[in-house]
Amino acid sequence: MSITFSKVSYVYSPGTPYEYRALDGVDLTLEEGKITAIIGRTGSGKSTLIQHLNALLLPNEGEIQILGRTIKAGEKPKNLKPLRKDVGLVFQFPEYQLFEETVIKDVIFGPKNFGVSEEDAKKKAKEALALVGLSEDIYEKSPLELSGGQKRRVAIADILAMDPKILVLDEPTAGLDPMGTKEMMSLFYRLNRQFGKTILIVTHDMEQVYQYCDDVVVLEDGKVRIHQDKDTFFRDAKECESMGILPPALIRMKEILKAKGFTLSENIHSVDALAEALREEVRNG
Amino acid sequence: MGNLTLGRYIPMDSPIHKMDPRAKILAMLMMLIAIFIPSGWIGYGILFVIVSMVIILAKLSFSFIFKAMKPMLFMLVFLLIINILVVKTGYVLLQMGSIVIWSDAVFNTLYIAVRLLLMIMITTCLTATTKPLDMTMGIEDLLKPFQKIHVPAHEIAMLISIALRFIPDLIDETMRIMKAQESRGVDLKEGKMMERITAILSLIVPLFVSAFQRAEDLANAMEARGYAPGQPRTRYKQLKMESRDYVLLICAGLILAGMIGMAVL
Repeated sequence: MSITFSKVSYVYSPGTPYEYRALDGVDLTLEEGKITAIIGRTGSGKSTLIQHLNALLLPNEGEIQILGRTIKAGEKPKNLKPLRKDVGLVFQFPEYQLFEETVIKDVIFGPKNFGVSEEDAKKKAKEALALVGLSEDIYEKSPLELSGGQKRRVAIADILAMDPKILVLDEPTAGLDPMGTKEMMSLFYRLNRQFGKTILIVTHDMEQVYQYCDDVVVLEDGKVRIHQDKDTFFRDAKECESMGILPPALIRMKEILKAKGFTLSENIHSVDALAEALREEVRNG
Repeated sequence: MGNLTLGRYIPMDSPIHKMDPRAKILAMLMMLIAIFIPSGWIGYGILFVIVSMVIILAKLSFSFIFKAMKPMLFMLVFLLIINILVVKTGYVLLQMGSIVIWSDAVFNTLYIAVRLLLMIMITTCLTATTKPLDMTMGIEDLLKPFQKIHVPAHEIAMLISIALRFIPDLIDETMRIMKAQESRGVDLKEGKMMERITAILSLIVPLFVSAFQRAEDLANAMEARGYAPGQPRTRYKQLKMESRDYVLLICAGLILAGMIGMAVL
């Protein structure tokens, strides 16, 4: 199964002086079960692209196939709820979506909208809050009392509680501290590897892409410029730089070490793994 | 909501765009008064032609104006119904059983429709060709004489410019929150009564939270830059009336006088 975009175009405010073509004939096939990073400059169409995944935006041209549904340009899709449930979309700075009196009520809100019973919704909500690392003593607090990082976690739990098959995140770690960032990224990684969720992440952080993602999609002026697995993608440093992308420091580090005579394998994608590999090599002489 | 056209500035390069906002505001006021003078169909015809010429001069499209008119349609239909039920003068246009439609009912509504159309055309000529900031500067200058009777001209202008400045932001914010909540299964268009109330709550609570947050941020930013209301302030941009602005004022004055003349005669 895969998610397919064929010749998808999206135009904001068509027919006005503010007309803007955000997506321009996007052809893209995303495999399910992978973590895919979507990168590109500001205004390259990343946010527009992901809003097509749960039909918040409908294409002006082309069609999208997702989870056995087809969304065609010019056709108003009926009964979007199942799609909205299966494609969980976490917006950029999602804290603003919190509105209930208590944290637990806010997380229950999503599943209940999709027809889950109060009891099951509560169970799901507790699971989701535990996943994002929030303890029980904040359940009854007002979401507005929480710290920025906690709010972000609640907002992500909001979506996780819906138990989506595909999780789409728009810069989920922007504004989080380094520890929080690491915890969030590890969570998404675990959701993918352990629970088999398909994950799409819009990000500007190449270290994150290198460490956690499988594939990379580069958008440029509303078109897909590159869609590759990350190792192939970062191998061509010149090509990366031509797109304004600075390869992760870890790659440069590995290159320097290789020049010094280390034989490091391809699949070292984190500082921890690199340290481990170096220790092995040093020990074995 | 993204297609909101009423009161939006359209950047163009036209003689109307370059005019002094004070002249434009005064001319608009005179034209609005002219509309409310019962000068008959001929008078409105003349006004329509003149305003259309201004719209063409300002390089605005008529479709833009009619889009701005759309929200008024509902009001007009409502008015027509009330008029049909209430007005019983003139001659009978149509009789369907117990419902009698009198000619004055239809003409009254048409009259109001034409006035509304003219009003929207004229106000659009102002708002679409004047940057919000220039507009508030113009309003502030025009209110200055009233400071003698303790009208806080500068504060009023500041209020207006802040309000105008944040309308598009709040619209964007609303759209953003709507999308986020729709992703959480909120259905803003359908559903039972209770569901719809929660749906609206899920929109309004975050909107208020963010509006208050913005207000606080803005107040802090203004204070940090030393803003103090009531203090004399200088301006980077000075408004200057040129000959074309006087021509505009004289034309508007002549039109107003002409309309009064037509009504009296």
